[in-house]
Amino acid sequence: MFELGISNVGSVNVMTSDKGGLTNEQVADLAVDKIVSISDEAPAHIRQQANQFREHLKHVLYHYLLLARKEERGTIIQALQSSGHTEMAEYIRRL
Amino acid sequence: MAIAQAMCTSFKKELMLATHNFATNGNAFKLALYAEGGGGKSSTTATLGAATTAYTTTGEVANSGSYSAGGGVLAKVAPATSGTTAFTDFADISFTTATITAMGALIYNDTNGDKAVAVLDFSSNKTSTSGTFTVQFPTADASNAIIRIA
Repeated sequence: MFELGISNVGSVNVMTSDKGGLTNEQVADLAVDKIVSISDEAPAHIRQQANQFREHLKHVLYHYLLLARKEERGTIIQALQSSGHTEMAEYIRRL
Repeated sequence: MAIAQAMCTSFKKELMLATHNFATNGNAFKLALYAEGGGGKSSTTATLGAATTAYTTTGEVANSGSYSAGGGVLAKVAPATSGTTAFTDFADISFTTATITAMGALIYNDTNGDKAVAVLDFSSNKTSTSGTFTVQFPTADASNAIIRIA
């Protein structure tokens, strides 16, 4: 028998949350998993360096995700205040 | 095992029959979530694996939040090649404000008779409670993509 090819199914990662959406940290994890993949067969020092880069990247992403959510809330609060929904704006500000 | 990760055997044959088109303007593919141990709709349990040929409601999780029967439409990543490997992938999919416990998923062709593509085994029950249930697909490359033919 001649085997001309092999078919494979990749692995997925599942992330869940309770009573609300994913946290900034979870979203940062999802992003990092997409950006950095480290081969199990890579030399130890390369893996170590890649892991350090991965952690650094996660911190940067986390910071900017936090900022993005804060800025978006700011825009929503401003829009609500402008249209007279001050109570709703205050509620969102406290989230 | 009631849910076993596999590329469905019928899918391999159907590739040779040009049943599936993964081009970005091709067929619509969906992902449905399944439960084991009576967690599905009407306490049904999913049995999914290489022998699965089409989408089934048996063992599918109940409607909740943005999840409804049949699951969600997947955004396709156009098929590509790297070296001698051809691959295709999908963008991550999320179901929001949903209470779901799922052990696996089925990717199927919503355009062509709900024909099965692949079964995904989450290894353990994954639960969201009034929250987000996200399935993250691997990087679209020759080593990781969700569907690869080498």
